[in-house]
Amino acid sequence: MNAIAATLRSAAADAIANLGSFWFQVSLMIANDVTWVLFWVLFFNRVGHVKGWAVQDVIVLFSILLVSAGLSLGVFANCRRIGHLAADGELDETLVLPVSPLPYLLSRRIDAANVGDLLFGPVLFVVAGHPTPQRAALFVVGALAGSLVLIGFLVACGALTMFVGGRGEQADLGFNAILIFASYPLDLFGGATKVLLFTAVPAAFVTGIPARLVREFDAPSALLLVVVSLAFGLLGWGLFQLGLRRYSSGSIWAR
Amino acid sequence: MSAYWAGFDRGFRRTVADPGDMAVRVGFFAIILVVMTALWRAAVDSHGGSVGGYDMPALLWYVFAAQTAVLGVRPRSVEEIGDEIGSGAIAIQMLRPVSVVGMRISIELGEAAARIIGALVAGGLLTWGFAGPPPSAAALALAVPAMMLGCAANIASQHAFGAVAFWLLDAKSSWFFYQKLVFLPGGMLIPLELLPHPLELASRLLPFATMAYVPGRLASGDADPMLLVWQVGWLAALMAAAVAAFAAGERRLQVMGG
Repeated sequence: MNAIAATLRSAAADAIANLGSFWFQVSLMIANDVTWVLFWVLFFNRVGHVKGWAVQDVIVLFSILLVSAGLSLGVFANCRRIGHLAADGELDETLVLPVSPLPYLLSRRIDAANVGDLLFGPVLFVVAGHPTPQRAALFVVGALAGSLVLIGFLVACGALTMFVGGRGEQADLGFNAILIFASYPLDLFGGATKVLLFTAVPAAFVTGIPARLVREFDAPSALLLVVVSLAFGLLGWGLFQLGLRRYSSGSIWAR
Repeated sequence: MSAYWAGFDRGFRRTVADPGDMAVRVGFFAIILVVMTALWRAAVDSHGGSVGGYDMPALLWYVFAAQTAVLGVRPRSVEEIGDEIGSGAIAIQMLRPVSVVGMRISIELGEAAARIIGALVAGGLLTWGFAGPPPSAAALALAVPAMMLGCAANIASQHAFGAVAFWLLDAKSSWFFYQKLVFLPGGMLIPLELLPHPLELASRLLPFATMAYVPGRLASGDADPMLLVWQVGWLAALMAAAVAAFAAGERRLQVMGG
């Protein structure tokens, strides 16, 4: 645990080594996020309510997405690069270290730009999410659970590269799919798409269910969210460990 | 074969030869169409059948054409240009007896042409399935060259934007900001007619609307050829801006080591 904490500290030091560049990237990401908020405000200004969702509900959903994306793609940035790392043989250097490979890989790199999401998400919730103690607590729990789902899903998609080969294309597609679906209200979707969002591309558990819990708490949904987030965490871990058994060195000098 | 045509040809072939990347992009495109269909269907249903003069088929064909034009372009071109300038790698490109920016744009246009063909086929079929036939076949026929012109304007604009790295040595992450200019004032996420009036007017004065809104508007059934003229005008201006920015930047570039 100490080694992982030290790795995370060193990744943080690396990310802020060029402080000007760090804040520039953070600022641009926040500008990017503000554009999305503006889109939703303009959209709802034009159409009113959509399937029971008003602009403030979507802003809560978006705040949760920002925190989840900030934690997974910012703090544990390598979670979306597992497939590329495996394809390029860059796991070799990790496997010789006396630490558990997955936690080490996940804590090795912090993406400054996505840290902007992590900073802006809570601010957006406080400013426009009508925070009360209960809503704030559910926001935090929901965002943490959503982060675990996102990390587990992305690691699982990346780990598939060690089974099927390629350069992690399925992970790129999974990454795009879950982030896009998680950016929109869950109730927009029906039929097969909705089934997909609760199973193969679990976007419903990244933002949809957490946002619904903030709006109206119900214990069974909260319990389901916790169980599913743990399940996706285990899925990512398990697939990565199984994939390592099939992984063979891709050392560039050995090619 | 001219060097620039060879560059276009190389970009086209390279993209076709990488089915993995193409499959990811087409898959991404399909996901966007599913999401936007759900969003706009809900909006139209709650608004009595049309929003801002767009009914459901018009909106979905708008989304199809606007997304096709944008997805044809390399998403992080601004960042890549900045990296090549910042690292000095661009000095190697300057050794060739052709314009650096001209060759880069030719290659990216070739890549865009291949991606647009893939997106046209896959996206067209999906959109037809979701929305039925296009509101106007003539307007859709005009939308096809408009997608390519929109792509070209986007690529030229990204080069003009990325050339800032000649002075700052870094354009990292500025693509996020650039991308959003195409998303909102460009009309990729929402047709300009649905924006508040002052924002709509401002968007029509900026070049970004030629990159997404124009193909979308044409595909939605408005067969106005003047929209293509609008695109060609901005394309010429953006090309000139990219060439001028690179020319000025190359004159001041100093690369250490090798």
